[in-house]
Amino acid sequence: MEAAERLRLGSVPVPGMPPAFERLFRREYPRVVAIAHRVVADADEAEDVAQDVFVSFYRRHPADAHYAAPWLYAAAAHAALNVLRSRERRGRRDAVEAVRRDAQAPDPAQAAETAETRSEVRAALARLPERSAALLALRYSGLSYEEIAAALGLRQSSIGTLLRRAEDAFRKEVAK
Amino acid sequence: MSDIEDMLSVPEPSVDTDRALARLRARVESERITPVTRAAAPPRQRAAVSGWLKGLSAAATVALVATVLTMSGLAETILTIFEPKQIVAVPITSADLNGASSFDAYGTLTWTEQPKPYDVPDIRTAARESGMTVLVAGNLPAGVGAPRYGVMPKTTATFTFSAEKARQAAAAQKRTPPPMPANMDGSKLFITGGPAVVAFYGDGTAPAAPTGASGESPFAGMPKLIVAQGRPPVVQSDGVTVDQLQSYLLQQPGISPQLAAQIRAIKDPSSTLPVPIPVDMATSKKVTVQGVEGIFVGDSTGLGSAVIWQKDGIVYGVAGTLTEQQVLAVANSLH
Repeated sequence: MEAAERLRLGSVPVPGMPPAFERLFRREYPRVVAIAHRVVADADEAEDVAQDVFVSFYRRHPADAHYAAPWLYAAAAHAALNVLRSRERRGRRDAVEAVRRDAQAPDPAQAAETAETRSEVRAALARLPERSAALLALRYSGLSYEEIAAALGLRQSSIGTLLRRAEDAFRKEVAK
Repeated sequence: MSDIEDMLSVPEPSVDTDRALARLRARVESERITPVTRAAAPPRQRAAVSGWLKGLSAAATVALVATVLTMSGLAETILTIFEPKQIVAVPITSADLNGASSFDAYGTLTWTEQPKPYDVPDIRTAARESGMTVLVAGNLPAGVGAPRYGVMPKTTATFTFSAEKARQAAAAQKRTPPPMPANMDGSKLFITGGPAVVAFYGDGTAPAAPTGASGESPFAGMPKLIVAQGRPPVVQSDGVTVDQLQSYLLQQPGISPQLAAQIRAIKDPSSTLPVPIPVDMATSKKVTVQGVEGIFVGDSTGLGSAVIWQKDGIVYGVAGTLTEQQVLAVANSLH
């Protein structure tokens, strides 16, 4: 087969996915999705974010890099927060609609109310400074102080204080 | 369950990792995305510690080189000490910078304690961890938000001169190096810098959002105002005379005669910290700050200003995208 034809058929092989990347993906994907989900409150959108995060890592970093996991966690939080902000820019109605799929309840009125509340909480999160919002996203996705420190490039001893401040700022934003 | 956990709660997502991996593989193939095969640079994420690390390291390297270049007139004992009490502006050009920054060309620099700045939550922590009284600005320009603090712990390094390395470096540039005095080969300089505390003030706007999923630092942009304070570098030498050192370093091919003359002209080099001023990018003049003589530096665009002074054993700096008047007002209001 001629090279041009192979190209046309899209059959020129691309370098295979390294086994180390597959292992990294299997190990970290659920956690990356969980972080994104905690922020965007929509399972499908969280998986889209996780896919983008892994593609971004695949392009630029070796799979066996020692910083792979913290990098993925931080990127998941930042990318998911970006999704929230663009939702807010599109308007309140879109933002509520975006979380409706996840807000299942037996009663449609109750589902609508849950979606509304979740959306308002996310809007407050989107208004926080980036670091505070990322701290909350990572902590409430179950990451330890050590993991958060590694992901955000902070000292572990500072996490407690920074987290308390982020929580206070978040409560104020929600109450607005 | 805490109130925040409750607010942020979402149903447990059901994740099918195999399906997700197949989706990613399909995308990688259809978009012909190739994986990284070489070792990547360290993650940019570390830059999120603070955008100031890069600038501070660059400034520290320049100051270190200039400090070594100005060592002169010290007692020729086994342990000679350089301990600055005042500062002076030394105009340098880009060519000087390129010539002087190749510290590796004369030997090996080994960090005993690496310069690893980190963020701290507040001024109290900054003071505790640096062991310094951290001054606060009483007069801030309008629109400047609350500060964030960073601490650079005390840093120590040993520099070992190597005649062989000097020969190789010069040969690589097809140059003949000045002969290194025999007793300098293998001799050591012990360099101590810091600790330092830096306060960053934003302009009250939200930090720029990182692009895509790259995880880049949201604090990469230049802060509106930076207030820094730190202990100046101290240099000790284990044997080589400082006259030999100065004479050897000032005749290196990268050092212009103008720079050498400037450095030789410093009256009290054992206690003067030279502040390199890139003449093609900035102008400088003497000013009075906090009752002592300081240096005002303005960049040639007129957009940025800085003032540097030394008082009671601490070097202070205030810089930002501010006017001369604003920078001096902040500097004089520190208490």
